[in-house]
Amino acid sequence: MTGVWSGIRQARWISSLLFLFALILITGSVNHAFFSYDNILNCFNAAVVFTLLAVGIAFVIMTGEIDVSIGATMGLTAAIAGKIAQQHGSFAVMLLIAVAIGIVAGLINGLGVSFLGIPSLIFTLGTNGVIRGIVYIASGGKTIENYAGSFTNYGNKTAVFGITWYYLIVLVVVALAHLLTTGTSRGKYFIAVGDNAAGATLVGISVFQTKMTAYMLSGVFAGIAGVAFASKYGQVNIVAGAGYEMSAIAACVLGGISLSGGLGNMIGAAIGAVIMSSVSRMLVFINLPSNFNDTITGIMLITIVVTDALMQRRAVENARRKRLLQRVAPGQDGGMQQEDGGETA
Amino acid sequence: MKKITGLTKHWEFILLMILVAEFVIFTLANPKFLRPVSIMSSVTNYISICIIALFVTFVMITGGIDIQAASIIGLTSITIGVLWSDADLSIWGAVVCAIILSGICGALSGFFVAYCGVQPMVVTLGGSFLYSGIALLISSLSKTPAYQGISKFPLKTQDGRFVGFRFLGKGEVFGFLPMPIFIYIILIVICYFLLHKTKYGRQVFLVGVNAEAAKYSGINTRLIIMSTYILSALGASVAGILLTSNVDSAKYDIGSTFTLSIITAVVLGGTLSTGGKGSIAGTALASLIICILRYGLPLCFGISTQNLDLPVGLMLIVVVVGRAMAQKGLFQKVFRDRALKYRN
Repeated sequence: MTGVWSGIRQARWISSLLFLFALILITGSVNHAFFSYDNILNCFNAAVVFTLLAVGIAFVIMTGEIDVSIGATMGLTAAIAGKIAQQHGSFAVMLLIAVAIGIVAGLINGLGVSFLGIPSLIFTLGTNGVIRGIVYIASGGKTIENYAGSFTNYGNKTAVFGITWYYLIVLVVVALAHLLTTGTSRGKYFIAVGDNAAGATLVGISVFQTKMTAYMLSGVFAGIAGVAFASKYGQVNIVAGAGYEMSAIAACVLGGISLSGGLGNMIGAAIGAVIMSSVSRMLVFINLPSNFNDTITGIMLITIVVTDALMQRRAVENARRKRLLQRVAPGQDGGMQQEDGGETA
Repeated sequence: MKKITGLTKHWEFILLMILVAEFVIFTLANPKFLRPVSIMSSVTNYISICIIALFVTFVMITGGIDIQAASIIGLTSITIGVLWSDADLSIWGAVVCAIILSGICGALSGFFVAYCGVQPMVVTLGGSFLYSGIALLISSLSKTPAYQGISKFPLKTQDGRFVGFRFLGKGEVFGFLPMPIFIYIILIVICYFLLHKTKYGRQVFLVGVNAEAAKYSGINTRLIIMSTYILSALGASVAGILLTSNVDSAKYDIGSTFTLSIITAVVLGGTLSTGGKGSIAGTALASLIICILRYGLPLCFGISTQNLDLPVGLMLIVVVVGRAMAQKGLFQKVFRDRALKYRN
C-alpha cells in the first residue's frame, strides 16, 4: 500500500486539517481579536449539528451512494423534539423517537437504493420531499417555539475547557465512528463496497446489507442532529434543515471523502463540518458581511474538488507510466507497482 | 429485454395517461379546476421548472446532473435588476448581460466536469453555493434592500397593457396564450429538434451511452459534456428572465426551491440518471404533470401550498419504484440481476 495512492489517501484528511488551520491563521492575521481560545473553540462548538449530519452521511458516501433526505429527517425530529419539549417531555423520549425515525427513513432509503437499484440521488430526493411533507403535518404548518427550560439550556452547558457537552459527545461519537470504520472488519465494509462493489461481493461482503446499514446510520445521525438543532436554536420552523443536506455533503467533500465512494474517513468529515460552520463566524472577524458566506463556501468547495481531481488524475497517470515502464524493464520495484496497478485498474 | 423496451417505448404514453387522469380527477373534485385561464396561469407560475427541466434533460442524458440551475435563476434575476435600476443600463442590455453571465457560469461548471473530471454532483453543488452567493453579493450592490426585491420594471401602460420587458412575462399572444407559455412551446420545439433530429443530439446520446466509444468514434466528448451545462445554464437564465418579468421583482433567491421539482420532472419524464436515455416530449409532459399537480391539489383537495413537496416527492418515489420493479420483473429477477450486475 505504499506509493502515491496511499500518500494521497492519508493526506486527504490532513490536507483539510491544514486548510482549517490556514483559515484560522488568515482570519487571525487580519483581525488579531480572533486569536483567543474562546473564539477558536466556538468554531468547534457551533459545529455540533453539521458534524452529526456529516458523519452520518459519510457512511453513505463511503459506500458510493448519496442521501439528500437527511435535511428533512433532521427537520422532522427537530419538530417532534420541539413538540415534546413544549409539553416538558423527557430528553430520552426525544432521542428514542429520533433514532426510530432515523431507522425508518434509512430503511426506506436503503430498500429503494440497494434493493430496487434506483439511483440514490433520485430516490432520496423523493423521500426528502415526502419527509418534508410529514414535517409540515407534524408541526401543523406552524413554527414550534416557546419551549424553554432545561432542554434549551443543554446546548450551552460547558463540560471541560469551554467545550460544550454537546460537542464533547459529538467528539466521542466521531471517534467511535472513526474506530468503527477503520478498526473493525465490518466497518471497513463501507469503504470496500464503495471502492469496488463487485470485488466486495466476491470476497463475501453483502453489498445490500452494507448499504442498508449505511442508510440507517445516516438516518439515525440526522435524527439526533435534529434533537440537537431543536435544543440549540430554541425554535423549529417548517423548513428547518432544508439545505443542510447540501452543507453536510459539502462538509464531507471538504474533509476529503470522495463522492464516488471508497475514499476518506470520519475525522475528515468532522473537520469539513467545522470548516463549513465556521466560515460565517470568520467572516465577521475579517469584516466582510455575511453575504460572502455562500460565495466563499462555493469557491472553497470547487477549488478543493478540482485540485483533488487533478491530483488524482496525475497519480493515476504516474501509476500507469510506472506500470508500463515496468513492463519494458521488469525487475525494478516490482511488488510495489503491482499493487499500484491493482488500485487503479 | 422486450418488456423493458416495450415499457420505455410507451413511457410518454403513460405520462399522457397520468396527465389525463389528473385532469379527470381534479375536475370531478372541483369543476372550477377546468378554467383555461387559471390552468394557464398555474403553468406560467411554474414555467421556470418546465423550461429548466428541458435543458437539464440534456445534462442527464450525458450521465451528469445539474443542481445549480435553480441558483442561476436568482443570479439572472438580480443581475437584470441591478444593471437596470442601479447601473442605468437599458433593460435589454441588462438581459443580454445576464444571459452572458449565466452562460459563463454554466461553462465554468461544465469545464470542471468535462475537463477536470470532477463528479457533476459535486461541481454543481459547489456551483449552487457559488452562484447563489454571487447573486447575494450583486444584490448588495443595489440601493434597494435585498429582501425587498427590485421592481417597477418597464413597462405597464396607462390602460393596463404590458409592453417591452414585462411583455415577456405578462403579455399574451393570439389574444389568449400567455407569453411565457408561448416561449416554452418554442423552446420545446427547439430542444426537440436539437436533441432528436440533429447530429449534436445524437452525440449527446452517444456520450451518455458510452463515453469511451464516443471518444474513439471521433466525438469531442468533453466539449459535448461542457456544452450541455452551458445549455442548462442558458435555460435557467431564460427562466429567470421570464420569472422576473412575470412577478415584476428581481430577487437573488428567486426560484431557489425549485431543485427538487426540476430533477423530478426530468426523471419522471423517463430520462435515465445514468445517462443515455431520455426524451424532450417525456420531460415536457412530466413538467406539465407536476404543474397541474401543484395547481390542482390546493384547489381541489385543500392541501396547503406549503406542503406540495409531499405529493411531488411521493410521485417521484412511486414512479421510480414502479419502473424499477417493472424492469426487474416484479421482484423475481431481483437477486439474479444483482448477481449479474456485480459480476460484470
